[in-house]
Amino acid sequence: MSSSTVSVPTPTQHAFQRRVDDVKIPKSDINFVVMDYLITEGYPLAAEKFAKEANLKYPVIEGSIQARVTIRRAILSGDIESARNQINDLNPEILDKDLPLDFALLKLQLIELIRKCTSSPEPDVSPALEFSQMEVAPLAATNPDFLRELEVTMCLLIILPSDGPVQSPYAELLKPSLRLDVASRVNKAILESMGARGESKLRSLVRLRTWAEDKARAAGLDIPPFLPLTSDGAQDGAEETNGNHDCGDMVS
Amino acid sequence: MRRSSYAEVAAGNSGPSQNSRPLRAGAYAHLVNNTSPAVPQESYQSRHLSRSVELPDATSWGTRYGTHMPRRNETSLPEFFIPSYLKGSKYADRLERVHQARVAAQREARVNQTSNGGSLSTSASGVNLPKMPPTHRGIAHEIVERLPPSEEPVDEWPMAWNDRDKHAQIEVEEGKRQVKLTVNIKSADEAATIRADHCAPKKCGIYYFEVTVMSRVKDTTVGIGLSGPKVSLHRMPGWEPDSYGYHGDDGHIFNHNQSGRAYGPKFGSQDTIGCGIIFKTRQIFFTKNGYPLGTAFKDVNTEKRYYPVIGVKKNGETLKANFGQEPFVFDIDKMVQDEKFEILNEIENRPVSDSTDNESEKFDEASFTKDLISQYLSHDGYVETARAFAEEVYADTRAPAGTEDADTYSPPVDDYHAIRRQEIRSAILRGDIDHAIKHTNAYYPSVLRDNKDVYFKLRCRKFIELIRTSTILAAKGQYAQQKRATNNHDDYDFEMELDDYQSNSNPPHQPPHHHHHGWDDIASEVDALDLDPEAAATRYQQVEHEIIEYGKELGEEFANDPRKEVKRALEDTFALVAYEKPWESALAPLLEKRGRAPVAEELNGVILVSLGKSPAAGIERLAQQSEALVDVLTEDGGAGAFLHVRRDFLQP
Repeated sequence: MSSSTVSVPTPTQHAFQRRVDDVKIPKSDINFVVMDYLITEGYPLAAEKFAKEANLKYPVIEGSIQARVTIRRAILSGDIESARNQINDLNPEILDKDLPLDFALLKLQLIELIRKCTSSPEPDVSPALEFSQMEVAPLAATNPDFLRELEVTMCLLIILPSDGPVQSPYAELLKPSLRLDVASRVNKAILESMGARGESKLRSLVRLRTWAEDKARAAGLDIPPFLPLTSDGAQDGAEETNGNHDCGDMVS
Repeated sequence: MRRSSYAEVAAGNSGPSQNSRPLRAGAYAHLVNNTSPAVPQESYQSRHLSRSVELPDATSWGTRYGTHMPRRNETSLPEFFIPSYLKGSKYADRLERVHQARVAAQREARVNQTSNGGSLSTSASGVNLPKMPPTHRGIAHEIVERLPPSEEPVDEWPMAWNDRDKHAQIEVEEGKRQVKLTVNIKSADEAATIRADHCAPKKCGIYYFEVTVMSRVKDTTVGIGLSGPKVSLHRMPGWEPDSYGYHGDDGHIFNHNQSGRAYGPKFGSQDTIGCGIIFKTRQIFFTKNGYPLGTAFKDVNTEKRYYPVIGVKKNGETLKANFGQEPFVFDIDKMVQDEKFEILNEIENRPVSDSTDNESEKFDEASFTKDLISQYLSHDGYVETARAFAEEVYADTRAPAGTEDADTYSPPVDDYHAIRRQEIRSAILRGDIDHAIKHTNAYYPSVLRDNKDVYFKLRCRKFIELIRTSTILAAKGQYAQQKRATNNHDDYDFEMELDDYQSNSNPPHQPPHHHHHGWDDIASEVDALDLDPEAAATRYQQVEHEIIEYGKELGEEFANDPRKEVKRALEDTFALVAYEKPWESALAPLLEKRGRAPVAEELNGVILVSLGKSPAAGIERLAQQSEALVDVLTEDGGAGAFLHVRRDFLQP
């Protein structure tokens, strides 16, 4: 149990790395985190398979998981109207109580509309203008931040269609990551409306690690300049010493 | 009286028989001896004793604390308590485990002393093995599994006043919680003080204790606070450097001076004063009768050690401390909870995906976590799940295209190795060790050769699986016997018989410790076993034979292995045969089905290493690093002290 995994320490191994290696995380904990992710983030098919393969009890999945999947896909595909209807079917209070989220959805819908209007061979911006005036403006009027965002968004009408690269504040609005972002906010709001945890433990764990690393560096504690998530011995040394949390590169 | 063993029943013998079980036990005597040739007559008790004595924390305790504390023999083991505000902290968990190990070691010693004569000789009467205390092994196992191998001691928190670190005229009473001064100290610049037995541990994050003035002496002159270990015991808390005190006669606070500074109200008879130190902010505060009085000292040098201290001047003054044995008057729990909540909040709201200007530095948490999941699934060989996950993720990415006939999804090329590893893993998970070994040798011929430990564990597991099988078959055979007895009763009910059998094995006055025996595990398999009870009895005989043959083989194969762990594991494994009802014995955890998973994971790990891959997936690294980082942050009493990574982040 204790001394089974005989690791051969590389000569340059940092004391902290040994400490990391000594931490025993039970597989059951990891599997819990994985299952929690699949349920929370809404991957029901994978969750079902995982329960089988990892020999876990299939968790009681609340009814919302399928709804959350369809809503997510609607948002990712740009069909905001359908997403909004489904959210309201689920629980109308979700958007009534969360005006920033309500506004984020409206803004996204407006962007999709502008995208559509301006990309047709004969651009007609009137549907976008109408939607903006009828649906978005009343909510935007309640909050100066919303109003500013609406103004920026409306500028897309002038900019699009564009041949060259779109400039900074507007470029943000056209990225797919905006849809992803709104989708995960909606997912969180639905979960929280049901009294569940809104985000997966894995996300918290990622933040914990980053936070703890920041704290440890700030306190001047003796940790290696770079903490990779891969431990393929050979690569450890070759890894460029990147002090920042360039987490994206850590998983290979 | 001994119930006839199912072995006898299954063998069709109605009378007392020495046929099967004792035979088997006898057949094993030499194996057990083989594995420890130096002590051929070693008893089970002494073996277990030596085991618990070898626990690192149990032994080092005596030497480590022996100089400081009364000897921990049977009578002086102090009452263990966890201050309410530390409950659920990682530090308290660790200290509690150390304490349990101590208690267990002591109980072992006692058992050994009193039952000298009753020790088991591995003779033909081996079935009458005296039972181990049911819990100790479980605890010992947990210690071995869960205490990190690091040699660092786990510091205790203050438990009592230290009767060897006091002014001569102070008397210690009431389990060393109460102190009394027996003279008047006339000199204006003198006092009598006493310190607690341990310093306030930084790992607490916040340390807090309370003292109540019990005496009704008028115009008391009492000082309460924290002081370094070297500070004079003839000086009031706060008069000297490294000493901090709050005095009742004027309500002033003192640090390295005699006049003090106005701080709070005066206090005296019947008042309860609390004193706390916050290591993170390096502050000391006091409370009076449950009310916080605010920060008293800032910039305390937390590199130094501070002990709870009290000072008195008048004859008869009596003070009683609460180091956490009782609920505190002040709601310190809430203060600690708030601190923890704030830290968790800070972690949650750390702006990871903050829209920085620089596009490339932007951290995409969503895709990062997604990558971690899919990497874990394929790394650990959850092939089906990995495929389902990839499909679902793909369905998302296809969505933005929004077109009706998006190209059909082509699953990623399956990892050839992942499938093999899955095959091997699932073989172990269903208890088919031979299959796993065969496939491992076929696909990865060097793996078991290069990883003798894993190979050994697999071989032992096979033996355990054989015992399991024989237990299941015996239970099934029991039905056959009982069915004959109840001959042709139409209402014969298997379920009832099973219940009977079960209640036989667990008498009602002895509630089963589900955690410590494998019966539940086995019962369901008895049910599921699709075998005619008669056939089960026959098959049982075969398995018994196989156990003996295989046991010999296993014993011979590893007899000359010098490693202590190997010997121990072998002894434990073989010891299973000595029990009539192994799932009731202290060795029951070995029988549990969940013991398969660790073996499976370990094998998977070494296969991965042989393929040049990391044995731990990204998520595991992430968790390990978090835990190690938080540990480092705990040592200096910082924010880490308030976190319990497993409990807060890896569990429901």
